[in-house]
Amino acid sequence: MADHESELLAPTPGARVSTFLKRKDVSQTLLLWVFFTAVFVVLGLWAYPKWMPVVLSKQMQANEDIMIWFTVISAPIAGVVLSIAAKSFLNMHRGDTPPEDGVAIRTNGPVVIVWTATSVLFCIVAIVWGLVALNTESIAAATDAPKSLIVDVTGSQWVWSFYYPQQNIHTHTLNLPVNQPVTFNVMSADVNHSFWPVQLGVKIDANRLVTTVAHADPTATGPLDVKCAELCGLYHAYMETSGAVESPTDFNNWVSSIQATGGVQQ
Amino acid sequence: MTTLSHAPASSRPIPNPKKSLITKLNMGTGIVVGVIFCWGTYFAMKAGRDMTDSHNVNKVLLMSMFAWSIGFLIGIGAFIGPFRWLIGKDLTDEEQLYLAVDGQGWKRYFKYCTDHKVVGIQYLVGVMALLGVGGTMAMMIRTNLATPGSHFVTPVVYNSLVGLHGITMIVAMIIVATGPFGNYIMPIMIGAADMAFPRLNALSWWVLFTAVPVLCSAWFLGGIPTGWTAYAPLSDQAGPGMNAFVATIIIFAVSTAVAGMNITTTVVAMRAKGMKWNRVPIFVIGATISVALAIPAFPTFMVAMIQTGLDRTIATGFYDANVGGSGWLYANLFWIMGHPEVYVILIPGVAALMEIAPVFVRKPLFSYNAAIAGFAGIAGLSVLVWAHHMYMAGWMPSLNGPFMVTTEFISVPTGLLFLVLIGTLWRGRPWMKLPMLCVYAFIWNFLIGGITGIYLSDVPADNYLHGSMYVTAHFHYTLMGAALTGAIGGLAYWFPKMTGRMLNERGGYISFWFIQIGFNVLFLGMFIVGAEGQPRRVADYAHLYSHANLISTMGAYSVGIGMIILLWAIVHSWRSGKIAPMNPWGAKTLEWTVPYPVPLVNFDQPPVVTSDPYGYGRSAK
Ligand code: HEM
Ligand SMILES: [Cu+2]
Ligand SMILES: [Cu+2]
Repeated sequence: MADHESELLAPTPGARVSTFLKRKDVSQTLLLWVFFTAVFVVLGLWAYPKWMPVVLSKQMQANEDIMIWFTVISAPIAGVVLSIAAKSFLNMHRGDTPPEDGVAIRTNGPVVIVWTATSVLFCIVAIVWGLVALNTESIAAATDAPKSLIVDVTGSQWVWSFYYPQQNIHTHTLNLPVNQPVTFNVMSADVNHSFWPVQLGVKIDANRLVTTVAHADPTATGPLDVKCAELCGLYHAYMETSGAVESPTDFNNWVSSIQATGGVQQ
Repeated sequence: MTTLSHAPASSRPIPNPKKSLITKLNMGTGIVVGVIFCWGTYFAMKAGRDMTDSHNVNKVLLMSMFAWSIGFLIGIGAFIGPFRWLIGKDLTDEEQLYLAVDGQGWKRYFKYCTDHKVVGIQYLVGVMALLGVGGTMAMMIRTNLATPGSHFVTPVVYNSLVGLHGITMIVAMIIVATGPFGNYIMPIMIGAADMAFPRLNALSWWVLFTAVPVLCSAWFLGGIPTGWTAYAPLSDQAGPGMNAFVATIIIFAVSTAVAGMNITTTVVAMRAKGMKWNRVPIFVIGATISVALAIPAFPTFMVAMIQTGLDRTIATGFYDANVGGSGWLYANLFWIMGHPEVYVILIPGVAALMEIAPVFVRKPLFSYNAAIAGFAGIAGLSVLVWAHHMYMAGWMPSLNGPFMVTTEFISVPTGLLFLVLIGTLWRGRPWMKLPMLCVYAFIWNFLIGGITGIYLSDVPADNYLHGSMYVTAHFHYTLMGAALTGAIGGLAYWFPKMTGRMLNERGGYISFWFIQIGFNVLFLGMFIVGAEGQPRRVADYAHLYSHANLISTMGAYSVGIGMIILLWAIVHSWRSGKIAPMNPWGAKTLEWTVPYPVPLVNFDQPPVVTSDPYGYGRSAK
């Protein structure tokens, strides 16, 4: 501690910065900053893609991008907080009497301003990113509407059921053709549920006597899990079904097999 | 900072207003009268009603619960004063002194005692009991989730456990800092002789006390199957246990309103001479902002619950779409309370740690103004963000954008709180006692809670995360990792003043590491299963999630062990710990200038304040 206490600050701003950076506690803090920032960057780039399910739609891709890049952008800020905390932690004093007093820094105008500006900037990036994603999504929903596959989804305690009006079939699994936009019109027969086709990355509550709408653009084929994301009573945990995003041929075969049994999936 | 003589505690004779009814009343008489009222109402209302109709059951149960609460308050003597006002009188001076005075020994903890120190201890014990109950339920929840298949309890019991754990913890956490420290320490900190309204102070505690058996009765009435959010129409459909939830919230809202008015008035009107606003200790600022925020928030919850109650008793249909109502009405009311409420919980905990950090780093609090701006900014914005809990409700998709903007801006004042803490730590040499360790744990936990909050506030990401375990992990990082850690820090810090003894250090350290490491393992596991797609509030889950869930449960047991050790340390130290000196940490706030036991009017001479309490440190060269 004592080493940097006695030194006088150099006269010019440039020189002041370089003396500041040469201080031992400052360079150690910087090292810690690099470490913590790297940890968070790795967490974002490696962990989220590993944890999150297979991406089957544009929406899911947008979600995963946000998870990854928000972690990466926040890494340097988290790094500042953690490195300063860690540096002071390592400098700890133990024993039964208090340490001698530290330096009386009551505030530091430029630091407060720079910190606030940084967090405002970070905030704006997050907001703009979110708004752009939101906007892209609603434009896509509007323009895709005419060519959308329609699925009427009904949640009831504790099953999901689907009706495809264009194909006139009733099903209990959710099969979708790849590369065709889909619009879900969602309703509940009783209490609130929340319709969650997991790998599509969209979600919308099912309310009684009101239709809510969600929209998705499936971009890859693969199995689909449909869950309920709103506590709806006793068997909420078991209110699940499956399905798939599949090639148009597979989808058409699936539809005709159901039509063959009177339009109701067996 | 003050001129104060340390005269010994004044030894007053115990006032003994012999014939007064007040001397005969206590918690026991309260319980007796309450139980009589409760059963009386129950049988009177039940007679002649068709009890196969659930509306009638709800009417009878709700009214019996309120009757218990009112009966208890009558039985403990809460209304003697107000009743005397009706006939143009008041309690005699002797009686008032009797209600407040030190020297009735342990018995006054069971009376309608108006001494803020007694109320503070009552809150402390009450909070610990609630956390114990809520924590036990958490262990049961995690045991059930240790392996897929819901082997430990049935889904009915599981859903009830989640709801009861949630509401018990929320109630406990709302009072965890402002109850014990706000009542015991805060008046001394600002140099006041007592709270502004000592009788309301006792009232707020005993009203809260009556809510506890009501909440517990849910167990015997079929549980609370709706989660702590009690969304309609699920709550309309729910069985008799739901009445306990409705009644608890209404009673609790009365208690918080009374306490909130009392604390704000005390801080505004009763500060010591010389304690200008810029000299008020930061904990006092934080606690005041927190209760002031609760004053508008809780009545909204109360209204929401009154309407739930009416729907369930006389079928008003506020939330019933079949007759033109809407569940979105409930969701809005609930979250207009709910989001401010999370900051009601958070702010006092942070503020306690901001009080602690300068003392142990022996540096001034970095940028007092930034701290106030942070608290005020959070409180201000927090009333404008509620619908971020409803992005996927379908209520108003066009408002998702605006609510996303307001929500993300909260990260700016929140950032200031971090700045204040790391600024205080910067170049410091912290004295690593338990309170200080909690500052570090807070920084780590709240950082994780804060960053994950940014994903959740982003509509597209929330599309995926909403209703998943990810949300549960996020809010435990803020509520438990941040706010509860702050409260534990506060307890370790003020323990010597509240009990006269030092908290056992070894017990404190061991429990700290069990709790904090366990906590991070526990909720890291929940982040993973959430990101993988496990919904929250599920009794059972797919095999895909079983590893991370098992790890979570291990973490939970570690937290449980840590909490038991902490409880042991508290009980042991309280009874036979090392006697504490008057100012063991060398702090500069006023509470450390009074001896233990703190005299009835706190100060023998009113203190005079000449500076803020953060004058530590050598001047920088
Ligand atoms: C030992 C500590 C704790 C453990 C192991 C624990 C665990 C859990 C678990 C497993 C759930 C259910 C998750 C879900 O399915 O959504 C839950 C819910 C919840 N917990 Fe905790 N918890 C703990 C402490 C706390 C604390 C201190 C609070 C403070 C406020 C709290 C508040 C809540 C709330 C509000 C819910 C939501 C209940 C609901 O969904 O209605 N918990 N907790
Ligand atoms: Cu459900
Ligand atoms: Cu919120």
